[in-house]
Amino acid sequence: MANQGSERPGGLVETHKGYNPRILFFYFFIAAILLALGGGLAYRQLFGNDRYHEAEKKQNQRRILVPGPRGTIFDRTGRVLVGNRPRFAVTLYLDQLRQDFRSEYIKIRKAYRAADDKNLPTIDQMQRIARFTVVRRFLDQVNQVLGRHEELDSDELNKHFRQELLLPYILLDDLKAEEYARLIEHLPVNSPLQVYTSSIRSYPLGSIAAHTLGYVTGNDDIEPADDFPGADLTTFKMKGTVGREGIESKFDADLQGETGGAIYRVDPSGYRVNPPLSKRQPVHGHDLHTSLDAELQIVAEKAIGETELNGAAVALDIRTGEVLVLASKPDYNLEDFIPRLGHDKAKQINDQGAWLNRAVSGIYPPGSTFKIVTSSAGLAAGVDRDTFSVDCTGSVMVGARRFTCENGHGIHGVIALTEAIAVSCDSFFYQFGLATGAEKISAMADRFHLDRPTGIDLPYETKSMLIPDAAWKKSRRDEAWFPGDTANMSIGQGFIGVTPLQMACFAASFARGETVTKPYLLHDPDRPAQHTAPIGLTPAQHAAIVQGMVGCVDHGTARILTTLPTMRIPGLTIAGKTGTAQVHGKDGNLNIAWFICFAPVENPQIAIAVVLEGNVGEETGGGRIAAPVAQAILKKWQETQSRPPAPLITIPGK
Amino acid sequence: MSAKRFDQARPFLTLALVFAAWLVVPTAVKRVLRAGFFEMQAPVEASASYIRDLQEFWSLKSRSKNELIEAGRDLIHLNAAYEVRLQQDADLRAQLDRLGRLLNLPAPEGYRAEAARVVRRDFSGWWQQLVIRKGSNYGVTVGAPVIYAGGVVGCVREVHAYTSVVELISSPGVRIAACLEGDTRPISYQGGINPSIAAARGEVEYVPVDVFVTPSAPRRVVTSGLGGVFPGGFTIGSLINVEPSSDGLFKSGGVQLDAALSALSEVTVLVPQETPPAAN
Repeated sequence: MANQGSERPGGLVETHKGYNPRILFFYFFIAAILLALGGGLAYRQLFGNDRYHEAEKKQNQRRILVPGPRGTIFDRTGRVLVGNRPRFAVTLYLDQLRQDFRSEYIKIRKAYRAADDKNLPTIDQMQRIARFTVVRRFLDQVNQVLGRHEELDSDELNKHFRQELLLPYILLDDLKAEEYARLIEHLPVNSPLQVYTSSIRSYPLGSIAAHTLGYVTGNDDIEPADDFPGADLTTFKMKGTVGREGIESKFDADLQGETGGAIYRVDPSGYRVNPPLSKRQPVHGHDLHTSLDAELQIVAEKAIGETELNGAAVALDIRTGEVLVLASKPDYNLEDFIPRLGHDKAKQINDQGAWLNRAVSGIYPPGSTFKIVTSSAGLAAGVDRDTFSVDCTGSVMVGARRFTCENGHGIHGVIALTEAIAVSCDSFFYQFGLATGAEKISAMADRFHLDRPTGIDLPYETKSMLIPDAAWKKSRRDEAWFPGDTANMSIGQGFIGVTPLQMACFAASFARGETVTKPYLLHDPDRPAQHTAPIGLTPAQHAAIVQGMVGCVDHGTARILTTLPTMRIPGLTIAGKTGTAQVHGKDGNLNIAWFICFAPVENPQIAIAVVLEGNVGEETGGGRIAAPVAQAILKKWQETQSRPPAPLITIPGK
Repeated sequence: MSAKRFDQARPFLTLALVFAAWLVVPTAVKRVLRAGFFEMQAPVEASASYIRDLQEFWSLKSRSKNELIEAGRDLIHLNAAYEVRLQQDADLRAQLDRLGRLLNLPAPEGYRAEAARVVRRDFSGWWQQLVIRKGSNYGVTVGAPVIYAGGVVGCVREVHAYTSVVELISSPGVRIAACLEGDTRPISYQGGINPSIAAARGEVEYVPVDVFVTPSAPRRVVTSGLGGVFPGGFTIGSLINVEPSSDGLFKSGGVQLDAALSALSEVTVLVPQETPPAAN
């Protein structure tokens, strides 16, 4: 027994002490694996920490961006042209309803199983039904409070759930004040149903200056400031706006509010875990003070509207170049763009040709208003105004073609420059233009910048204006320049095309005795007076042309402004020039009626250009149709000038 | 030794077991237990309030006859003034009815005024509520507005057999469609987080940007009547400060509430009356 006992332990010891190389290899193998695992873990913990932290952040955090309200647009006197008004909606935060969806899903699944329905829906289908049922219940609650009968769109709900879970789901939009008041009182404070406010554009003065102000459309891709955190996170964006026309478009970057938002932690299913990790309030955009004068703009649009013709009117502050009026008709109703323009309205605007801002993008032959350019060119070129006269017999032969005098319904007899401007004698200007030369007329028009855009702060100003010359005609039409072309150009016909804004700038420049006026749409009370190159006329030459323009209003083609008692503006001397031209439009021929003017003659302050598109055969002369529009603007302007400044408003607590 | 230790830990174990059991008890049972506890407790509180009323009665009994005579005269004057007001009110109502009939407007919702004594006041940072001595036995309903001489008190949150719980307007759980006196534009009033020792305040949102106030020139916030719960014209408090929201659309501000809210002994519940069905 003793032997047995001594052998047994010895044998055992021997067995365990036995050196098995395979086991040794296994030890090393295990140690290597453990080392690799430990090393890998250490590497990830010590060196890859940032990377994994970033990955975790991306997976667990979501960013919501909220657009800032746009800035307000004022006129030069501080009246609001475009503001913001709140838009109330009742919204449902779907990500707060996870438990409700789950309970409803279980209830539905039980019901199907209890009914032993063979056509059991899929899990996804049952989840959709559950979501619809829960949200419908909330909608019914809102319907009951508001006495409405709204329905739920299942597809829209599911799209929102899948793609924009963290954003509020809008159940009803554009609530009235009474409706939102009812909801405030009836909905529990901690309900997933909440009243949500966003801002939309409002137009307190209606759709005045529609083309100039422009409109906004929805923007699904709002951008936050560069320092807004979470650029690499999955981001949900509330709908913003973007300017699409006029000032709204040109100054979109200034008007655009600063985007706010929040970063939330979410669970693996995408449901929000409150409260937000960081939050930034959206900030109101910059306000803009335009140079427009709302009162003059309203009067101008009303006056054009009364003619029932398409057209435009522009008025400028001669000293600074600030635009006081920029009207174009037909226009569109800015309210129609809120929240979006309907198909029917868009078609209506299209059919009327109302998209076109005729003031800056309408190209028209200037007609007889161009005679001021021809006169300036001729006098600057040395044609003697005292000795140069023409015997108007009603027509003039230029080459083989007879050019008729369209103004005066007859013959003007022997006529000189000043009176020729007043009565707009074509016969005189055919001869005067030929004596001056086409190159010199073109050069003078170029000096007045009638060959190029004005550079106004508006998008889509046309670049198609044209001051022709021999080189242009050769290159574009491969034709020689004939004396008949010069005669045509002298009275503003032929190939010439300018915009109403250009002609207003020209009138302002001519009133100052200079060549260029740069128009501005933003008001600056400290804006310095403009001073550009002089026309190159002696004071006497300049005065002779101005005298002709005064004569135009006094007894000439625009005498309606003085002969009709209702048209007279006591105490205001106006220098004007009418014009009538014909163009071939897509709908046939059009009569283009012009009137350009400045006032007061003694101290020019306001320059105006009016153009109206009339049908051929109708009485649509510049003096009869366009001059009254300018008269309405001038009358209101005189009224505003004589008015004492508005008293300061005292605000309690300010 | 171990048995002794077990004996010492038994109360804690029992407590843990009770907690564990409470956690698994169905919600419906919990609700019944809670309501039952409240109903059992209610008679005690009601009795206490009756005793307080009795104390008040005896303290008033100790007043001199002269004081009573003066109070009686004041009451006569007050009654006379109210009589005039009632007459004016009746005239106005008649005019309103006539205009309503002319314009075919639906009849306004009526309320039955139910005066109730305050049994208990319960103020904390989280909720501020009163328990009043009338419940379903007087037809009080959940959501009914509660007022006092100085304006709005709050609204009924819970109704029991003999008592009701009123959530005060100083509580963050109360939201009212309000407006500023003389201004019809609705604003949102909500109670704030009010420490029990501080003067109660509330907050307003959606205040139009053209509204300016200062603590020295406050404006009265009243119920708008647009929300459908509170009738219009009852005072909520004084708007003492406003500041523009960052989005520039509205302003938000603070409302100072009446200090008497925390010492009310009697309130009036406005129980909505069922509109009678239109006669055929």
